[in-house]
Amino acid sequence: MTAQQDIPAKPLPAISDFNRPFWEGTRVNEFRMQRCNHCKKLWAPNGPVCPHCFSDDYHWEKLSGKGKIASWVVFHKLYHKAFANEIPYNVAFVELEEGPRVIANIVGVDNKDIRIGMPVEAVFEKINEIVTVPKFKPR
Amino acid sequence: MGTMRDRAAIIGVGNNQYGKMTAAVSPLVPLAAAFKNALADAGIQRDEVDGILVNIGTPFGVDYDQVSEAFGLDIRFSDQTWTHGRQMSGVLAHAAMAVDAGLANYVACVCSINWARAGTVGDHGQFQDDREIGGAHFEHPYYGMTSPGGAWAMAARKYFDRYGATSADLAEVCVSIREHALRNPLAVMKKPLTVAEHQASRYVCEPLHLYDYCQTIGGACVVIVTTPERARNGPHKPIYIAGHQGMCAGRAEATGARPGLGIHQQDESYPVPRERDLLVYKMAGVERSDIDAFYTYDAMSSIVWMALERFGFCKPGEAWQFTKGGRIGPGGELPVNTHGGLLSEAHVSGWNHIIEMVRQLRGECGERQLPNAELLQWGTNRGDSLILRN
Repeated sequence: MTAQQDIPAKPLPAISDFNRPFWEGTRVNEFRMQRCNHCKKLWAPNGPVCPHCFSDDYHWEKLSGKGKIASWVVFHKLYHKAFANEIPYNVAFVELEEGPRVIANIVGVDNKDIRIGMPVEAVFEKINEIVTVPKFKPR
Repeated sequence: MGTMRDRAAIIGVGNNQYGKMTAAVSPLVPLAAAFKNALADAGIQRDEVDGILVNIGTPFGVDYDQVSEAFGLDIRFSDQTWTHGRQMSGVLAHAAMAVDAGLANYVACVCSINWARAGTVGDHGQFQDDREIGGAHFEHPYYGMTSPGGAWAMAARKYFDRYGATSADLAEVCVSIREHALRNPLAVMKKPLTVAEHQASRYVCEPLHLYDYCQTIGGACVVIVTTPERARNGPHKPIYIAGHQGMCAGRAEATGARPGLGIHQQDESYPVPRERDLLVYKMAGVERSDIDAFYTYDAMSSIVWMALERFGFCKPGEAWQFTKGGRIGPGGELPVNTHGGLLSEAHVSGWNHIIEMVRQLRGECGERQLPNAELLQWGTNRGDSLILRN
């Protein structure tokens, strides 16, 4: 058996009633977030009510997909075996232009060149017919 | 305002001999040893224990029902937390409130961890993976964000960048805490550590190096709490819970960070500390400057900075300077984790810190004994705190 065959498939996001509109958005290459119809604020992570005013009247809105890196790390130790071919790989907090911060990988740049404050924009990686995962690249 | 001041006391503590265990060892085994030691230390019989509180639980800890059955206890007050170390001080406060309210006479707070049973925390199939809105340390498995250390690394990077600190500055925290461990026969880490060795060690989750991480060698701790009246009949002087404040939660809080750092959804302009972060001193009727030593949940070294800033031992962004030059080490101005903490003694979820605080306040610590220890504080980056006094 080769090492390659020992590597399990990468995990997929858990799509639920809670976050389905987000994943429907990424499928058409849109980065969507919930916006409150009452206080007009956005929020992340997804939730059933607005954490600012506690209203449950909201809509999913397409955002610019642009932001900047708020912090980032590089995994050198392999924890999740599915990432065996990617070590060392990065994970970042991206602060969206609209305010909230989200977790994602940064692509299109060497790990050593990533900096806090670096401007980035969303790109969309199709995994299968249902799941498209958003990542960010320098802009 | 209500108060918990001196309404409960710790009368007995016990632990096993910390060391590596294989996955074949039930966490009940080290806990039995710790439980016997705590009963003997408290001078009470097993059948007097009528309350039990458990931190951690299965799969790598123990559950309240199995402990009570296995140890032949007859319990009328029990509870158990989520499987995270962060709940430690809240459990102890719960015990204090229970004895004060007459719900139990003697509450045993128990924690037993066999890390070998946790597998590789961060590998697939972990219980955090599919939690709505992400795991307790920002776990997002499809991005490979799967280990608790990732959260602390995010906060450490942000801190370095925002305040001009470096990994070498953080190494000084690890070195000082190791210095404490070298004076503690129970500590599993027995060799001195230097800043150079820390810097030469491999990255685990960059910017954190190997020595920024605690070791995953667990063990068992038992802490017995009762009323002051009962405590006065014991073989040792009671150690009073002089003050407590709970763990904070909400959008200002983030794993690995103190409020205002700018991790997850934190607002960077959030003031640190706020008045409510310091209520523990008010409850205990003391000043921060009266504290003889500080204890914190050092699963990663950077937490020490976050906690020191949260409680105002130094200003936001200044802890990396505060911890230089051995100030938190043996004989320092503010010793931190005098047993070696999670970094260098053992990882029993912070319960080993409480046991050390009790032994220091009783004067039982030999070579590492603090001179005239009267007031010791537990406090974390999440704002929970305990002040113990003798």
